[in-house]
Order: sequence, then C-alpha cells, then structure tokens
Amino acid sequence: MTEDTDTTDAEEPTEDVAADGGPAGEASGTPSELRSDGGEETATDGAGPGIVPPDDETPAWSERKQRSQGLSRLTYEYFERARREDQDLRQESSYVERDVLGFPAWPHEMIRNLAITSFFVGMIILLSATLPPHIGPPANSGSTPAIILPDWYLYWSFGLLKLAPLNPELSLLGGQKLMADRTFGVLANLVVVGAVAIVPFLNKGAARRPVEQPFWAGVGFGGVVFAFTISAYSVNNLIPMEPTLQFDLAFLLPVLAACIAYSVLKSMREGYMFDLNRRYYRLRPPK
Amino acid sequence: MSLERKDDHDHKAWMKERDLTPVESIYLSVLVWFDKRLRIVDYLELLEDLYYKVNMQMPKSHTEQYNLDNKFWYWYPLYALGSFSTIAYIVAAISGALLGFYYAPAAAAADGTPSVAYQQISLIMTDLNMGFFLRSLHRWSAQVMVAAVFLHMLRVYFTGAYKEPRELNWIIGIVLISLTMVFGYTGYLLPWDQLAFWAGQIGVEMSLSIPLIGEWVAQLLFGGFTLTQATLQRMYLLHVFLLPFVVTTLIAVHIGIVWMQGIAEPH
Repeated sequence: MTEDTDTTDAEEPTEDVAADGGPAGEASGTPSELRSDGGEETATDGAGPGIVPPDDETPAWSERKQRSQGLSRLTYEYFERARREDQDLRQESSYVERDVLGFPAWPHEMIRNLAITSFFVGMIILLSATLPPHIGPPANSGSTPAIILPDWYLYWSFGLLKLAPLNPELSLLGGQKLMADRTFGVLANLVVVGAVAIVPFLNKGAARRPVEQPFWAGVGFGGVVFAFTISAYSVNNLIPMEPTLQFDLAFLLPVLAACIAYSVLKSMREGYMFDLNRRYYRLRPPK
Repeated sequence: MSLERKDDHDHKAWMKERDLTPVESIYLSVLVWFDKRLRIVDYLELLEDLYYKVNMQMPKSHTEQYNLDNKFWYWYPLYALGSFSTIAYIVAAISGALLGFYYAPAAAAADGTPSVAYQQISLIMTDLNMGFFLRSLHRWSAQVMVAAVFLHMLRVYFTGAYKEPRELNWIIGIVLISLTMVFGYTGYLLPWDQLAFWAGQIGVEMSLSIPLIGEWVAQLLFGGFTLTQATLQRMYLLHVFLLPFVVTTLIAVHIGIVWMQGIAEPH
C-alpha cells in the first residue's frame, strides 16, 4: 500500500505536465501511447472517428480504474483494502455460516406487517373519531389570552426559554449579563440538542442493555425526567406552586432520578454479572 | 420468394410458423413492439431476481438464532416505534393532502374577525362531509407521529442502538425529530386562531433573540416582525411544500441506513 502511494506520488508531477496538453492525459497512466488527441489532428467537424473500438493497447476498464490518479486512485485502493479486510475477517472467524430458516417474506412476513399496520391505522382512526380537536377563537392581536402554549411536544423547549434565573451576571462586566435572557433561552435549546447529538461519540463499546451501562442509563433517565420537569415549569402559571420552588425542583429532581436509576442499575449489574459468572464457571470449572 | 430477411430475428415469421391463438398473437406482437423500442428483455432478469427475492426466506434474526426471545419479548413492541411513526406520517400526509383541497392560507386581519384560513377550517369542520373527522385524523396522526418519534428515540438511547457504526443515523434521527417538531409547529399556526397567533408570536420573538442574524431569520421565516398574511403564507409553504420533501427524503435515507446496517438487536 505505502509503496503504491509512493509511486503514484512520484508520477504525479510528470502527469500534471502531460495533462496540460489534453484532457485524455488525466485518464491514463501511459500518456505517450494514449494521448492521441494531442499528437494527431483532431476532427471537430464530426467527420472523424469519435469512438475508437478498443484494441490490445487500450486499457480495459479495470486497468483504467487502477491507473487513475488522485482521489479516485485513493478510493480504489481503499476499496481493495476493505475487500481484503473483509476476506481476512471471514477466514479468521470461527463462525460458520449456515442456512438459517425463518419465515418466508411472502406471505408470512407481509401478512404480519399488513396486520400490524392496519391495526395501528385503526388506532389512529379510533382516536380521531372519539377525541376530535378543538378550535379556539380567531386570531386577535388586540387581546392576549391568559394561556399561551405551544403543542405539548414543544413544552420542553418553551420551558428552556424561561431559564432567565440561570443566566449568569458577570462581575467582569460590572454585574451585566453577557446576553439577553431570551438569547440565553434559545441557546439552551441548542445546547440540549447538541448534547443529545454527541452521545454516540462519547459512549462507545459493545454494551447494549441499561444494566450493562448504569451511568449512561442514569444520564438518560435523568434527561427524561428533566424533559418532564422543564415542561411542567413551562406551564408554571397553571400549576399552583411557588415558581422558584418549581424552578429548583426542575433541576434537582432529574439529578435525583439519575442517581437513583444509577444505583438501582449498578446493584442490578452485580446480580447480572454474578449470574453470568456462575454460568461461565459451571461450564468451565476453574482447575 | 421474398426479399425479407428470414433469419432468427424475423419475429413475424417465427410467430406465423407457431400456431398461436388470437390472444397469444396480440400479446406477442405488443410485446415485440415494445421490446424493439425499449429492449424489455434486459429488464426481465431484474424482474426474475425480484420474483425470487420476494419468495426468499427471511434470515433468522439474532434473537431467534440465539434463542433470546424468552429474555427480550417485552422489548419487541418498542422496536416497532420507528415504523409506527412512519405509518403515522403516511396517514398524516394523505389526510393533509385531502385537507389541502379546502384550506386557504389567507389571514386578512388579526383583529378578532375570522380570517379566510379560520373560516375555511370552520367550513371543513362544520359543512364538509367527514370534514371534522378528516381534520381530527390529521391532527391525531401528527400527535401520534411525534409521540412515536420521541419514544423511538428513547428506545434507541436505552438499548444502545446508536453506538459505533450507527452514529450517522442517530444524527439524522435528531435532525428528523427536530423537523418533525417544526412540522408540528407550522401546522399549529395554520388555523390562525388565538393559540396559533400567539404561538407564532413566541416564534418571532425566539428568532429575534438570536444574536446578529435574528432579524434576518425573523424576516425569512415569519415574513416580518409582526404576524401578517406573509407569516401564514410562509408557514403554509413550509408545511405543505418544503418540509414534506425534506422529511420524506430524510426518512428514506434513515430507513435505508437501517436496512444497510441491520437492526441493532438486543444481545
């Protein structure tokens, strides 16, 4: 691999010089033979042979791909390596591929899928027939209603807009706030979404079940509880509770929930590992 | 003695020497006509391949192969949430297209007199046959879609299905869930009732509070700093034109990646 790249690198300058003559220099590694449009007279009136049938000198498509330069060359080399890697892995592995018989796609799987789909569509129809929506009075910019709310799934975002008490007053700026409260609220939304987005880059490994990763399960549970508490805080004018108390609870409850989930799962993991180890040592008793 | 070719490619002669029923000869001549122009033969192989693929046996899944069903059976409904949200999306698309025949995004005034948009919603709900149900269906399928998408995300999180080879799909999923909420928000504004108007007001204030580009964003999304006809029209275009294309494409990519990488089954 490294040798190949070295040779291509060495060839590159000459190629670049040759490629100035015509576009055909790009495609081939043997410029002197193939760059016909540079040496001969090019017919531009449509009379000349536009397409030349391949002879032995003309590189085949695969050769062309192998000889090409730059990114396509790199791509080709990488795919070759990847194919070799796959093959090596297949040869090394002790896994035997057998014919595993499941249900046929048609009709079994399809009938099952259709049944599930129609059941689910039926549920939506039932819901919409029994609980039809309401429409309020028409829009009036003159009268602000007592209750302004987005749909329920945006409550969390609405709550994050009300994080003004957390917006730090910097003594460096003489007790001024760095940004307006509402900017801070919008920023909080971005922070939450960004935090969710980077999770796969922080949590790696083969663990799948919550029991196997109590920390991340705890974080997730705390996050879910926070979504509920911040949603509740967003409608704090409807909840008969001191707003400051509710604000504190919105941040304390998730931490509490995360700690509880973490400790429960941690203790469950002890038992889980105990079972696994017992089974393992029963199969292979220590000498 | 004719000058016509009578080699293997003379399909007419070949048809004549066979003793064909009228149905067969009509069928064959139509087929030959099309095949001369479109070369259907080349695609027959694909069809054949499809035919055998349809009759293929599904491979046993990981859990079936290692007999893990007794451990994980209660997780399985959670694995249907993604397809539930897709189905709800399709239902919402169909009912939304039907609602689109009657709705008009015209908000002449916001002074308490019902606008055209509001009147059209009232018409759908009171005068149109099955109209109330149609609106109800659209709204509920949207609600169900959002709920299913949220739960789907929780399932993916708690079963670690976002891990190593699947980070890209997790991020596409986050984009999708955000776009779903934008879908919901733009739809929430369309009836142009009090709730819609003041939710739109919050949206304008949110975009105005973005540093540096806030005013530009408000202009772009809401067509101004106060809610007018332009706002409703933009919300309508986002809801019925821009978002459907983007979201449908992203859903296809999302599901395609799941197909390529396989479902992350419990171990």
